[in-house]
Amino acid sequence: MTEARDVCLRVENVGMRFGGLRALDDVSFEVERGTILGLIGPNGSGKTTMMNVVSGVYKPTSGRAVFEGKRIADFPTHEVCHLGIARTFQVVKPFASLTVRENVAVGAMYGRFGAKRSGKDAFARTDELLESVGLARVAGRPASDLTIPDRKRLEVAKALALDPELLLLDEVMAGLNHTEVDEALHLLRAVNERGVTLIVVEHLMKAIMSISKRVVVLAEGKKIADGLPLEVTSSPAVIEAYLGSRFAKRQQQERERQT
Amino acid sequence: MKAGAAVGRRAGITGKRWVFISTLAIMGLLLFVPSFHNDYINLTFRNILMYAAMSYGWNLIGGYTGYVSFGNVAFFGIGAYCSAVLSKTGIDNVFADVGLALVMCALFAIVVGLPILRLRGHYFGIATLGVALGLTDLANNLDFVGGSGGLNLKQADQAHFYLYYYAMWAVTLVCMLATFFIARSKLGYAFVAIRENEEAAQVLGISPTRYKVIAWALGGMMGGAAGAVFAPANGFVDPGTAFAVDNNVFPIAMAILGGMGTASGPFIGALLLSGVNEILQEKFLWLHSLFFGAIIVLIVVFLPRGLMYLVGLRGGVRRWLSDLRAFRV
Ligand SMILES: Nc1ncnc2c1ncn2[C@@H]1O[C@H](COP(=O)(O)OP(=O)(O)O)[C@@H](O)[C@H]1O
Ligand SMILES: [Mg+2]
Repeated sequence: MTEARDVCLRVENVGMRFGGLRALDDVSFEVERGTILGLIGPNGSGKTTMMNVVSGVYKPTSGRAVFEGKRIADFPTHEVCHLGIARTFQVVKPFASLTVRENVAVGAMYGRFGAKRSGKDAFARTDELLESVGLARVAGRPASDLTIPDRKRLEVAKALALDPELLLLDEVMAGLNHTEVDEALHLLRAVNERGVTLIVVEHLMKAIMSISKRVVVLAEGKKIADGLPLEVTSSPAVIEAYLGSRFAKRQQQERERQT
Repeated sequence: MKAGAAVGRRAGITGKRWVFISTLAIMGLLLFVPSFHNDYINLTFRNILMYAAMSYGWNLIGGYTGYVSFGNVAFFGIGAYCSAVLSKTGIDNVFADVGLALVMCALFAIVVGLPILRLRGHYFGIATLGVALGLTDLANNLDFVGGSGGLNLKQADQAHFYLYYYAMWAVTLVCMLATFFIARSKLGYAFVAIRENEEAAQVLGISPTRYKVIAWALGGMMGGAAGAVFAPANGFVDPGTAFAVDNNVFPIAMAILGGMGTASGPFIGALLLSGVNEILQEKFLWLHSLFFGAIIVLIVVFLPRGLMYLVGLRGGVRRWLSDLRAFRV
């Protein structure tokens, strides 16, 4: 490679064991500053576990994740957002008794610029954010009253309130209908255009292919592909992982027949 | 599920505004209690105020932060013994008593809280119970504080006796206002975020241990101040009075009844539960503890979110039953 790539996150040989289970096995990849990286893989392939490692919720059992030269595992979980990393939870975790506005304000109060903000400033920042993610209409409602799409929006808004440089999105489009997925993609592009690097975890191939500049594919905890979206989808290993070995074999045979 | 993690309707981080204003108004009325010149009335209301202050102390950690403590009586006891020891050294001044109690309780909360507040949920509750029992044992065996025989304090003469009432009133008012302003500040949101979802709070930059210790220490100072005023008013402190089971259980029940995680709940709960206790004591001298215990159990089972919740309830019995089910999950 001739150009020096501007890498903000380096995942180096990360392994994560839960008892006998290897949820992640020697996974390495890099994320360029300002990019959108898609992270895909079948259910149980380790995507969420990777989000947990990069956001400092889990300490990897081997290897390391390095953000802007700092090893993430060296920081307690609550300081990782001060490094500039924010994440959403696949299983949403709203503060149920607080309003939508208060939920987001907590992020603005304690996130990267939180120490500099008074409570009032945090609410002012929150109101801007709610407008931009389309939650202003339910700002005063308790988070427990929200619909599924709005709960997903709230997860994103809380993460954005941390003023991140790197935003990890874990299946924020799951359970959304067609138009809602389009809206979500639009929002994520807008966030990215403001300079935030994104790692987007999705089960949905289509959505991820349209938004990602690069895609990393996991299967059973191992990285099986890493490249441009089109390269990755045509990789036999990826097809096998997603559609099963019989399908991959048949395709292989067809290809052989054609040549 | 953690205590206080509410579902459905909410009343705001301090509770309903008009309820709080009413609470302040009742506090205003309580200023006139000494004008009855009746020792029984005076004592009864001083106890209500004392329980309210302790309940506010419990409310910060148990109600707002969602960590149910079974050992907050430790702070009350420390506060009471601070006054007793000061009196022993010849200092009988309620300001000095409260000042020393605040310092000692804050220190104690930090030293003990740092290890035990790393524990999540139930383990914390059990550890706090251990702390309270341990302190009782210590007080029983420490000659310096009179051992099991306790210590006498010099009381103000009858002319100044009502001063203790006003002191307790002031302590309670400060607890009430402090709760109101803390809840609305950044601090209050950190407490509630931890209660509602500790992992989500952490990812938003909140150090759970740090804010749990702060909540416990602030609450501890409230309980300690109540103990510091109680001791000279009572004129005598021993392990049994300082670390009484009632002083541990009543404040919790009061916060639950009035509405935990609100700025009015502890006071309202203290007023109502003390009233009920008085009546029961009069009607059933022997079994009143049994009835009182049964009432507490009923509250916890059927009104786990307190009266404050009923005030905000829309949707009648059906909503109540469905919320009750959701609360138990
Ligand atoms: N905290 C945990 N304890 C035990 N096993 C876990 C834990 N988290 C994830 N796993 C396991 O690790 C594997 C990968 O899970 P996950 O990262 O959630 O997959 P994905 O998000 O790709 O669906 C699964 O087999 C899952 O059961
Ligand atoms: Mg997942």
